[in-house]
Amino acid sequence: MDVATRRWIRRLDWTARLRASKAAVTTYPDLVVCEECDAVHTRRELQTGEVARCIRCGSKMGVGHVIAFDGQLALALGALIVFIIGNVSPIVTLDLRGLRSTATLHEAIRSTWDAGEHLVAVLAGATTFAFPLTVIVLRLWVLLPLAWGRRAKVLIPAMRALRWVTRWSMVEVFMLGTLIAIVRSAGLASVILGAGIFSFAALTILLAAVQASGLHDLWHRASELPQ
Amino acid sequence: MSATPVAPPLQRIATAREQGLVGCECCGLVSQLQQPMARRLPRCPRCAYVLHPRKPQSLQRTAAYLLAAVVFYVPANVLPVMATVSFLGTDEHTILGGIHELWLSGSWELAVIVFIASIAVPILKIAALALLSYTAHRQSLWRQRDRAGLYRLIETVGHWSMLDVFVVVILVGMVRFGSFASVAPEAGLLAFGAVVIATMLASASFDPRLTWPDSVRNG
Repeated sequence: MDVATRRWIRRLDWTARLRASKAAVTTYPDLVVCEECDAVHTRRELQTGEVARCIRCGSKMGVGHVIAFDGQLALALGALIVFIIGNVSPIVTLDLRGLRSTATLHEAIRSTWDAGEHLVAVLAGATTFAFPLTVIVLRLWVLLPLAWGRRAKVLIPAMRALRWVTRWSMVEVFMLGTLIAIVRSAGLASVILGAGIFSFAALTILLAAVQASGLHDLWHRASELPQ
Repeated sequence: MSATPVAPPLQRIATAREQGLVGCECCGLVSQLQQPMARRLPRCPRCAYVLHPRKPQSLQRTAAYLLAAVVFYVPANVLPVMATVSFLGTDEHTILGGIHELWLSGSWELAVIVFIASIAVPILKIAALALLSYTAHRQSLWRQRDRAGLYRLIETVGHWSMLDVFVVVILVGMVRFGSFASVAPEAGLLAFGAVVIATMLASASFDPRLTWPDSVRNG
């Protein structure tokens, strides 16, 4: 093996990296550092619904359990179900004096691809389909074992991927975009709403509820547990 | 008599970096600040994310993404984002044209929403990040709390600019009546998506901790 390949393999080896860093570093679980201004605070358990704000910059540093982890699990399962319904059912049907045209998310993305705008199709497919699906699956992956008091397998890559895809998942924007598209085509043809649009509306709410408490609590709880 | 502040002056609050600590950007765990050894970056013991007291080359990367956003902003607004095809001919629509149509069709509320999401937010984001980067570079103490709030605002509203991309994609999938009426995406849409992505990357690259320089405490 050449040096470059070996370096790549080492980069992918999470456990080795972790063992190396664990040996040397002191950690302070009783401290919280503001992500936005680096001010140091001491950790305190928060009451339900209580919001901790940084004394210096005012950023939200934590929320007292809005929804407990088993509640989050239920919401994530619900999100998976409405996600599936939303993807297989028509979002909206247009009726132009007897001629009908039905749109699902997949057809919309495929039509964009076929019209030659491949990058836009990939962008839309990623932010409205692939990333939201990944968000739901990774949430379930982490939360399901947690319900049995276990630590999920490959917890660290899963949580880090979750952080990334959450940022780029845009179901709520897609939802509003669909409403605007409906208004814009209302002059052209009569509009029949499909199950898809209601599923996406429900998905927007469920995802917002699951994500309300942020990831730091989940890190804290999940990494304490035995495998 | 002027009111005296009850809380200590904001600049006198100790930062993690000054105390030899670092909060993980990924999982939030606080650990001891380590000196980077040769070929091995310090990593968080909980999540293995690279620990750095400040994001490396934050301002340079933010500036680069902002420049890209400005460059894409021109074709995004000049080129048409979609074309409506019917037996009467082909009509091309720009972002502003679409807002105008919404306004004329009587749904002025939606026209305002689309205007804010598609025109106002990208410009304000670019301007705000330029301001934040400039003041951070100068280590300015000017209205730090407001600047922190401004950063939070652009992080929250950032991805809503993608709205028009989704409107066109859904219209393309929805209006498919062959030669009677159909909608096709146009080149401006890609440029518009590029603006949104570039501004999102710019705000992700900017390190809000730079708004609060350390040296102030000693001054």
